[in-house]
Amino acid sequence: MLSLIVFLPVIAGLIILAVPSSQKQIIRIVSLLAAVVQMVLAVMIWRGYDPSLAGITAMAGGMPEGSFQFIERLPWISLDLGNMGSMNIEYFLGVDGLSITMVILTALVSTIGVLSSWTIKKQVKGYFLLYNLLATAMMGCFVALDFFLFYVFWELMLLPMYFLIGIWGGPNREYAAIKFFLYTLFGSVFMLLVMIGLYFSVIDPLTGNHTFSLVAMASQENYIKDAILGPDNAMWRYVAFIVLFIGFAIKVPMFPFHTWLPDAHVEAPTPISVILAGVLLKLGTYGMMRINFPLFPEVFQASMYVIGVFGAINIIYGAFCALAQQDLKKMVAYSSISHMGYVLLGLAAANSEGMTGALYQMFNHGTITAMLFLLVGVIYDRAHTRQIDKFGGLASYMPVYAGIVTVAWFASLGLPGLSGFISEAFVFVGAFSSETTRYIAMVSVLGIVFGAAYLLWSLQRMFLGKRKDDAAYDLVTGPDGQEQIHFHDWNGKLDLDGRELAMLIPLVVITIFLGIYPMPIMGLMTTTVNHLVEVLSPVMMAVVN
Amino acid sequence: MSNPTYTAIFYLFAAITVFSAAFVVFSRNVIYSAFSLLFTFFGIAALYVFLSADFIAVTQVVVYVGGILVLLLFGVMFTNNIMDTDLKTDVLHAIPGTFLFLGILAALLFTFYTTNGWMPSDTQLQGSVVERIGFETMSRYVLPFEMASILLLAALIGAAFLARYDNGGTNEH
Amino acid sequence: MFELPSGAEIQSIISILKSGLGFFIPEIYLSILFMGLIILDLALKGRNKSGILGWATLIGLGGSFYFIAQQHAMQAGEHFFGMYVLDEYAIFFKYFFVASGMFAVVATLADRKFDAEVKSIGEYYALVVAMVIGMVMMAAASDLLMIFLAMELVSLSAYILSGYFKRDARSSEAALKYLVYGAVSSGLMLYGFSLIYGMTAETNILKISMELADHGYDPLVMILATLLIMAGFGYKIGAFPFHFWSPDVYEGAPTPITAYLSVASKAAGFALLLRFFYIAVPHGVSPYEDILGIDWLTLLVIMSVASMIYGNVVAIWQKNVKRLLAYSSIAHAGYLLLGVIVMDEIGTQAVLFYLLSYFLMNYAAFYVVVLISNRTGSETLDDYRGLGSKMPLAGAALTVFLISLVGLPPTVGFIGKLMIFSALLSKGALYIWLALIGVLTSVISLYYYMLIPLNMFLRESLEPNEKSLNPGFLAQLMMAVLMILTIWFGLFFEPLSEFARYSSAMFGLSLY
Repeated sequence: MLSLIVFLPVIAGLIILAVPSSQKQIIRIVSLLAAVVQMVLAVMIWRGYDPSLAGITAMAGGMPEGSFQFIERLPWISLDLGNMGSMNIEYFLGVDGLSITMVILTALVSTIGVLSSWTIKKQVKGYFLLYNLLATAMMGCFVALDFFLFYVFWELMLLPMYFLIGIWGGPNREYAAIKFFLYTLFGSVFMLLVMIGLYFSVIDPLTGNHTFSLVAMASQENYIKDAILGPDNAMWRYVAFIVLFIGFAIKVPMFPFHTWLPDAHVEAPTPISVILAGVLLKLGTYGMMRINFPLFPEVFQASMYVIGVFGAINIIYGAFCALAQQDLKKMVAYSSISHMGYVLLGLAAANSEGMTGALYQMFNHGTITAMLFLLVGVIYDRAHTRQIDKFGGLASYMPVYAGIVTVAWFASLGLPGLSGFISEAFVFVGAFSSETTRYIAMVSVLGIVFGAAYLLWSLQRMFLGKRKDDAAYDLVTGPDGQEQIHFHDWNGKLDLDGRELAMLIPLVVITIFLGIYPMPIMGLMTTTVNHLVEVLSPVMMAVVN
Repeated sequence: MSNPTYTAIFYLFAAITVFSAAFVVFSRNVIYSAFSLLFTFFGIAALYVFLSADFIAVTQVVVYVGGILVLLLFGVMFTNNIMDTDLKTDVLHAIPGTFLFLGILAALLFTFYTTNGWMPSDTQLQGSVVERIGFETMSRYVLPFEMASILLLAALIGAAFLARYDNGGTNEH
Repeated sequence: MFELPSGAEIQSIISILKSGLGFFIPEIYLSILFMGLIILDLALKGRNKSGILGWATLIGLGGSFYFIAQQHAMQAGEHFFGMYVLDEYAIFFKYFFVASGMFAVVATLADRKFDAEVKSIGEYYALVVAMVIGMVMMAAASDLLMIFLAMELVSLSAYILSGYFKRDARSSEAALKYLVYGAVSSGLMLYGFSLIYGMTAETNILKISMELADHGYDPLVMILATLLIMAGFGYKIGAFPFHFWSPDVYEGAPTPITAYLSVASKAAGFALLLRFFYIAVPHGVSPYEDILGIDWLTLLVIMSVASMIYGNVVAIWQKNVKRLLAYSSIAHAGYLLLGVIVMDEIGTQAVLFYLLSYFLMNYAAFYVVVLISNRTGSETLDDYRGLGSKMPLAGAALTVFLISLVGLPPTVGFIGKLMIFSALLSKGALYIWLALIGVLTSVISLYYYMLIPLNMFLRESLEPNEKSLNPGFLAQLMMAVLMILTIWFGLFFEPLSEFARYSSAMFGLSLY
């Protein structure tokens, strides 16, 4: 089941490879079919998922069954390393509460991404090949339970992403693409070293061999005491935690490592921005929850405060930068940085409320930002500009568009009744109730205010008021005598067309529904999050040592 | 071998070898270089004699002086305008080169004068060694001997290729 | 006076030589092939001569696999009075060098530049085979004399091969530069050998090791000898600071020869380096100390770090693809040296695996470079603009090979790096800093390797004519196969790594 959901896009890619490149429609439809089937599979997994199982660590005795679900475990590579024993790499997939949320999100966002890619005209075959490769890599990352496998998927994302930004991107795409590539690779090469170090430090209790299994690594009793990342080597454990954290923080992106994100977003085509913001950023925080924190809980305990501070910086700095942007897409990009700050803050709180909020925020941010970028893409397609100043008074001419924008914008700023509110509220409840992050949370509340400011201000400038003199469109009188606007070089429907509605309506529905009744998603994660909090708690660590 | 006369003669020949070799490199005229090479080869032959390797010394003289050097001189003499060719290169890293040279020289000398622990050979050679060389070449050193023949064959082919007049590919333009 | 040995002694010598001959069949076969090619060159006439010769070389080299494969059954040991050893390690390199010779021939057959530049191709293939013989001997030599002769055979063939385009000034410059640097470094190496001989009065590396262990040695002389010998080995592996020849030679030489030098000649250098330092230098109780400290290891560490940094950083500014790959090969020598430094079985296994992966990805990359230059007549980065849409398969394949050279999954190059870093980290915290330098420089390498796909895919061609430059069916097939192999071995590398581990057994090794 999980193998199918992971490799379905690659199969679609192979089919596309056989289709001649002139048959663009067939290529698109094959990709869409794959994405829809992936979506269906994700729903099936969701229906079959038992939310009472904990995940994160194995059950007593080291068996992952009974803790993880939909497990697929095959020996992949077994290397004899002489006196170092054998190196065992497994094809090990499985889901728990952390992954299932992200699997659903990934399937949803990549389906919408395919729909959004319909407007891609250049080298359609190459585009969808890379897109499908990217979809496989993303999904693989979320279900891999073997560190080696995770790393392979993690790095596999980079190359398609580089080309998708670099070939189909905007004017400054070369710079943005290589910057993205170098930043993420810089983060992940350290992960490689930590991975090897962990491998030499951990014994799988079932086989007695060294292992890459993340499940075995998450239990502190599986570590060899004097190994390089064993409990006796406190210094190297700190170093490993920090470099891993930086690797994931680059992906999030966390404040000092965030500079690639605005560039990448501004240059990337709309569907890639959607994927980037909707799924890829989540990989950073997912990696922290799956790998970084549970493997080094004592270091996490010591650095919660710092993580919280960085979260607060992200929230406020991102909001400030968004406030200063003239480019609508850049504003949305910075709002992503701000919103991922909430996730970091929730993680730093290290209690059930905070962690639940963080994970739920990851899901909601995925859907909401996808919506935001799609809406930016809609207006960019028509006007060929994203400068906020070039618009004005759009609401009266494009009412459907304006309506959906309003929902998305309000969801993003956390209006009660929409999904963003619930996750942010959980994050703040968690952060306030934790001793460590209480004061950080107080400062972070400012972020909500600034968030409201930039969102409402941009809404007001673009949709309310009248057409400005240097606007990107003309006012013409339509056949029915009504005044309407005309974009240069745009022959399509003025307001949203069917394809655009097909992408946006599901997201709007999800946002509203999950804002009123969050349990379908939140219910999946509760047991796992509680267990994660337990694994990370000092009491638990005292038991192990 | 600690006889001072021996030592003096050794240094004399060593000096001849080194200085004539230096002249080969630094002379701008290829004829002078070629003639200077003669002294280098002779000096080396003399050093072989000091090592009781009479046979090698004779071979050195016969092969290098009698064969290779003469051939070299023929080549030089038959080449047009050889006297006028300026051999000096444009790029001459004189200062780093000197430093490197002095550095290596100092390191070698320092090492040789401060260390002992060399392993003297226990075989004392007396009389003619030709038969012994012949025997060893055909027994213990037969593999390197054959190896050398392949090496020379490869060199020969390469030299023939480089020397051949070649005015273009098979598809004449 | 010399007295002739008795009849019995002569009989025993003859029997030793005779028995040695049985372990020497692949080398004899290759020597016969070498001479046969010269004769074939003289005998053949007509238009298809170069093709026939090429295929004859290919088949001839392929035939030697049969004889090499039979050697697996033989007992490891020394032959020809300690001149030559047969062990799994040597057999590994025999396969390696024969295969790389074959690949050089394949690339030559694909390269159109030979048709235009070269009148007589016969010597070329003969010298390729001669170089294979030399490298095979380098990997199996266990005597200083044999080491020197084998290295000279490789070098001499390489000088002529790199200058094979006689009318091309760059090619001639490459040959001359290679010759001058080669002569200096082999002179220095001989000096180092003579110092070792002076200390031990032995030329066999096993006996040298025993002699040094029994009588001890002066560390100063030892480090001087090591330094001088490293000049010779470092020149062969192309590591900093003995790399000066490589950019010019790689750029000027015919591209198949560039590939051949960068893979096979480097591997031969490493074969020798590992054997020499693991066997000739006596090792103490702790595996990474020789009996008087770790002086030569320090030299290797310095060389490795300098190569990784220098090669990767300088490559950033290169405008010619062959030159860029030359600098990258300096960096790869640095990564390989990391595996040597570990000094145990995992390290050797990692080096051998890395060589295998380097073989695949570097040859494949050069093969695509050859195909592209057939079509465009150029190797500069600017002329790669927009090629991605004209030669999609070549573009995709080259991207995969370059990604593999960076060391990103799921390619074989990633596994190579993984093995090297695993070997380093298996020593605990001792070599973490080296691993750090290794991974950081590989991030730098991403930048310049990606310059090639950047020009191919992200930039538009300067001449916007949309004709496709199809390199022909066979070449397409070859590229596709190489690309699939690069990814396949990146995912299922067990056979390669098992082979590498099996081959890490050296005769007379007490290190692990």
